[in-house]
Amino acid sequence: MVQASSVEIRKVNKFYGPFQALTDIDLSIPPGKVTCLIGPSGSGKSTLLRCINFLEEYDSGEVLIDGQMIGYDAPGKKMSGRKLREMRRGIGMVFQQFNLWPHMTAQENVAEGLIRVRGLPKAEAASRAAEALRKVGLADRMANHPARLSGGQQQRVAIARAIAMEPKLMLFDEPTSALDPELVGEVLTVMKTLASEGMTMVVVTHEMGFAAHVADQVAFMEAGELVAVDAPSRILHQPEDARIQSFLRTYHERNAF
Amino acid sequence: MFSIPTFLESFGPLAMAARFTLLVSGLGIALGLVIGALVCACALSKSRGLRRFAAIWVSFLRGVPLLVQLLLMYYLLPVVGISIPALAAAVITVGICASAYISEIWRGAIGALPPGQSEAAEAIGMAPGTIWTRIVLPQAVVMSLPALVNELILLVKASSLVSMVGIMEVTRASQAQAATTFRPLEVYLAAACIYLAINLCLAGIGRWLEHKAAV
Amino acid sequence: MEWSVFQQYGPMLLRGFGITIFCWIMGTILGMALGLMIALAQRYGPRPLRWLLQAYIEVIRGTPFLVQLFVLYYGGPLVGLRLDALPAGLLGLTIYGSPYFAEIFRSGFNAVPKGQIEAARAIGMAEVSIIRRILLPLGLVSALPALVNFSIILTKETVILSIITVPELMYQVSRMSTETFRYLEANFVLALFFWGLVEAISRLGRRFETRITQHLIERV
Repeated sequence: MVQASSVEIRKVNKFYGPFQALTDIDLSIPPGKVTCLIGPSGSGKSTLLRCINFLEEYDSGEVLIDGQMIGYDAPGKKMSGRKLREMRRGIGMVFQQFNLWPHMTAQENVAEGLIRVRGLPKAEAASRAAEALRKVGLADRMANHPARLSGGQQQRVAIARAIAMEPKLMLFDEPTSALDPELVGEVLTVMKTLASEGMTMVVVTHEMGFAAHVADQVAFMEAGELVAVDAPSRILHQPEDARIQSFLRTYHERNAF
Repeated sequence: MFSIPTFLESFGPLAMAARFTLLVSGLGIALGLVIGALVCACALSKSRGLRRFAAIWVSFLRGVPLLVQLLLMYYLLPVVGISIPALAAAVITVGICASAYISEIWRGAIGALPPGQSEAAEAIGMAPGTIWTRIVLPQAVVMSLPALVNELILLVKASSLVSMVGIMEVTRASQAQAATTFRPLEVYLAAACIYLAINLCLAGIGRWLEHKAAV
Repeated sequence: MEWSVFQQYGPMLLRGFGITIFCWIMGTILGMALGLMIALAQRYGPRPLRWLLQAYIEVIRGTPFLVQLFVLYYGGPLVGLRLDALPAGLLGLTIYGSPYFAEIFRSGFNAVPKGQIEAARAIGMAEVSIIRRILLPLGLVSALPALVNFSIILTKETVILSIITVPELMYQVSRMSTETFRYLEANFVLALFFWGLVEAISRLGRRFETRITQHLIERV
């Protein structure tokens, strides 16, 4: 079992100028569970996810990781960069566009954080990177540069880069949206393995199948508001809210043959 | 009639003078790289004052013709009581002028990196200094190489203007040669050939670098 | 410093300014026209012509403008090309600018998506009308920022014409400074003048660009 964090989101608001991107979000993410954020594009799911590691600065409210607020020492008082980096080490993130560093090989991508952030000696970082890459099934691709990897392989390297840091919480921002359909499966498989090991995961996704089978809870967002949080079966199969019904109807129509 | 012997004979003295063409443009780009890095740092800094300074630096040096800059420096130095050799003054002027273009090249290369690159580093808790030295700069430098080679080619051509402040480089030497031989066509064509040879070599290096960077 | 000389030499400087602007505008128009012809010939011309033009582009871009002017103005008479300073300068500016303009047009044409040209072929448009109605308008729009940029560079190159005694602004300023020994003031004012001119033209250019490309910007 990995050590797993909990996340508590309380009354979080976020503005881009006059536009309110998040409105009074309350969400509690239990340790060792998988929470999927779904909803139409532009609904604020990615913004909310990015508030959890403070890549996006929320304007009011609190985001607590294991009881400690991230980004602010007290409401309105920004945390020091050093302290923020300390907290971020415990949070892994996987991006829609992979964001691998193109000038480094797969193994160097994974080892970079271990060397520069965790301060491990190069040899140890390299062997841990190799182990993380083995775990995502890329033992034979370690010396490749990202440009020589398929999208699915790149995304698995990105996952290895995150898990090598031994995080207690993993954030996934539409990890399969930039992939060709036939490459989605390999990434979801790795994510399922991670979930079964008891990692706390927050996943923004359009893969309703993944949400239905892997998530412990599903949160539906629309227009910057959290509409409902519940067990996947309740949200995906018997939604009460009309907004969820209409979203799922569109989704099913698009995916019907 | 076009005299081929005169044309060929011109190459000797002109090739000797090419040392100074290479010296002015080579030292000019080296100085430009250093000052350009500083100006680029100012342009990207959080301080409004520094950004304003960088903007004025770049706009002035790109707005004023190099020939005017050279003459300005040539006449300004004695007035403020600085006496340095003409060659040094020319190199400094060319370097300062190049710094404006180089700082823009670097700013462009840094701006062209997808922001996700730094975000991914931030997300694993990398410190800002480390993100610069490990993620941003290595990529930006490689990306900017072809543009920097191009800038060097521009400098080789621009260095012909330092002939106007008395530096005996290819252009000045060809003027002297033309005056003694009374065969300006042959001599100036020979000078053109020398510039062309230098620049074709540089362009070849540039293409090779671009190819390497793309792999 | 002594500034009154500028009053005394005012009319002369004004004439010089007029010639500078004239050289710039004519050089830009002629260089652009020649560049456009080169770009079209490179796209549609026979292979030997394309090679020849490519060599022309490399040679002109690989040599300093000053040396090109020397060849033309001092070397020209030896092969019977006897030109006054101003026409020689204009011809030099046209030749000097043409390969840069040609390259700008070429990449502008390349930026037109193939599919849009195929769509025109698919509805049976003739090749000439495709060039006139699709390739030129779209290619010109995407080449516009680079065209504006290079014509700004040409304003600065006009000062080099003073070296072959074209009586433009720089030439008048150096004449004034040799007569009055006000070298520093003269060049300082000249620098400020060019700085202002280039800034003004860039601003106008940007406004022109946004006006002409407005309908192509996607708005949600």
